Amino acid sequence: MTDLGVGKTPIKDLTDAEFEARYNCDRYTATVLSNRMRYIVEHMCTNLLHHAFSLILRDWYDFAATISGPASMNYPMSTVSNSLVLFSGAMEHAVRNAVEEYGPENLKPGDVLMVNDPYRAGNHVNDICFIRPVFHNDELVTFIALRAHQLDMGGIVPAGFSATKKDVYETGLVIPPMLAYENDQPVQHSFHLIFNNARYCALLLPDMITIYQNLLLGERLMKESLERYGADAWLGAINYSVDVPAESMASAIKALPDGVYEGSDLVDADGIDDTLEYEIKVKITKAGERLEVDFSGTSQQARTSINAGVFDTLTAVGVALKYVLDPKTAFNSGAYRNVDVVLPAGTICSATPPDGPVFLYWEAAQPVLLAIFKALEPAVGENAVGGDYGSLSIHNGHGVLPDGTPWVTVAQCGGEHGPWGATKTGDADSYGGFYMANNLDPATEAIESELPIVVLRKEYVPDTAGVGYNRGGASVLRDSMYLTEAHHTSSPVHTKRSSGAGVHGGKDGRNGATWLFSAEGGFDVAQRKDLIPVLDPEAYRQSTPVSGMLDPDTKAIDVEKGEYFWFGANPLWHTKPNDVFRYITCGGGGWGNPYTREPERVLVDVRDEYISIEAAARDFGVIITGDPQKDPEGLQIDQQATEARRAELRAAGMA
Amino acid sequence: MTDGPTPAPGLSVEREDVSEEELRELGVDTSGAPASDFKRYPVLSEGGWYIVIKNQKTMETVHKEKWTLLGPVKLVTDGLHIA
Repeated sequence: MTDLGVGKTPIKDLTDAEFEARYNCDRYTATVLSNRMRYIVEHMCTNLLHHAFSLILRDWYDFAATISGPASMNYPMSTVSNSLVLFSGAMEHAVRNAVEEYGPENLKPGDVLMVNDPYRAGNHVNDICFIRPVFHNDELVTFIALRAHQLDMGGIVPAGFSATKKDVYETGLVIPPMLAYENDQPVQHSFHLIFNNARYCALLLPDMITIYQNLLLGERLMKESLERYGADAWLGAINYSVDVPAESMASAIKALPDGVYEGSDLVDADGIDDTLEYEIKVKITKAGERLEVDFSGTSQQARTSINAGVFDTLTAVGVALKYVLDPKTAFNSGAYRNVDVVLPAGTICSATPPDGPVFLYWEAAQPVLLAIFKALEPAVGENAVGGDYGSLSIHNGHGVLPDGTPWVTVAQCGGEHGPWGATKTGDADSYGGFYMANNLDPATEAIESELPIVVLRKEYVPDTAGVGYNRGGASVLRDSMYLTEAHHTSSPVHTKRSSGAGVHGGKDGRNGATWLFSAEGGFDVAQRKDLIPVLDPEAYRQSTPVSGMLDPDTKAIDVEKGEYFWFGANPLWHTKPNDVFRYITCGGGGWGNPYTREPERVLVDVRDEYISIEAAARDFGVIITGDPQKDPEGLQIDQQATEARRAELRAAGMA
Repeated sequence: MTDGPTPAPGLSVEREDVSEEELRELGVDTSGAPASDFKRYPVLSEGGWYIVIKNQKTMETVHKEKWTLLGPVKLVTDGLHIA
């Protein structure tokens, strides 16, 4: 029997009386209330998604809701919505730190507290965490929080997304814990503070009102349960909710071999120059039912806004462990009970103010997750997970319509969506948010109807997926043409090496890259009435590279012999009408030996243009005949040649 | 393009020595292990930042106390007192 490292009898071994003594309610009630909490946060998020005004909430799902217990319980976060993962681990601390700084004794019914300071609460300044204290019989019994991205929070870049901001003064307005609503009335000076500093306030205001209304929805649903079951059962259910993943994580840790596991990942450069790479090092010591995750040796904080804060790193640790160790129970603060994170201040994943600016925090947090995947690969065996496309390569553009109306695009037309890595379960998807996101993909129709942008291409690139018995996802290519003059920040910070690491014998996905194709003197799509080719290296000769390992002559991707083109060479791109940005993401990592993949599955991949006939022979040892372009259903496996080729590979110990 | 990028220097958490007297004062049962097996350092975990003392051979935490809300992170307004 395990004691879970916390001296408790496992929940399933408790007698009914013991269960009731621990959780102040019976098993059935604890389960009902735990599910009720999940229903509440999901209902809030669905309602916000349906009623939000700005694209970043409406089309991207850039928000999350949580429930936390009171100060007397040290704010256990029982419930996290199935939305933006990047917020999830940090929100436990955002609630605790904001409430403690403001003073729980100062909160009254009808208040809404807000905070957006990355160093106090995680994430970046645009992500305001709104916190509603919920009272029952005049006692503050719980908190409901809704953190949501605001389209702008001031700073030197409209909408904020930039990897080249140099300090906290350039990133935007920092809001310490303060009231947004008091006695259910908006605090005028709080709103003035934001709207005197932020852009696009015609969208921010209705978004904030909608967020407030969803806090009221959550509170109403919560109060129904408190009235019916009482505060003791409610608080017992909070404890039950965090104990379940604490137990399951402890059991998963216990199943690992004791030992020390090390991994690392690199960020290409910051926005000052390309002389420094930033390394994230992790040393995981497993003993019994406990893990220590030590980031000592990690590079000092970057000089521009690609840093993460400590709570972002904590999120990445928790999410990584859930992926590879304990994916079947809910994620909440209990997942960290048997995990200690050792994190020096002032690194790229624990930045400090004012000179460690945090904005593109996921560009450091996601490598934390990937470093943990790499570290634990030998320990988890076939449960290893391939790396994904790793970086959002986020694109932020703005301009003015002919009638003078300002427009802005955020995270819609860069490399924000791409492939995952393969697992033992099967091939990876090629299109989704990265492991730390779980967001939506803005619809092409929404982009083109609201913005002067034409989405020219949104497709997979052949021979980019990490090969394996199970194949990683393919790189995603996106071409976006801008119809007015515009300014852009482009932040592909992970192109020097592929993030899509192969596992369990699988191979890495291919590196991504980004280019600008000018219409004037380059490739004028509108005039030629044709799209920019993808696979012809000569097509790239007319481009301006933004980032990638590229042939300096043709400017096409050349991972082996190419040179690194640094994303920060131009911190603000100015484009003319009909100019096109092209993004290609990294490919996802493969799982398992590719030479053991069933030939029939390779044939399907050739038909679907995930891989070419040449790659089928080279990377899988499968000989296919036919023409995938002209007669995809006529493709055939040359069984004899394939068997001969695989026999050679087996003889060489490769298959 | 600049040749020869190097990794930015790394930072580490200092693990402080703990004396036998300190362990005794804290009421720690060392199970016969010498004080040199134990180190004190900050960790971030469920519930926030803590200062722990751990046996470095077994990774057992023998003492744990809450630290400040933000642990090692200092805000630019820390220490600001407006009367």
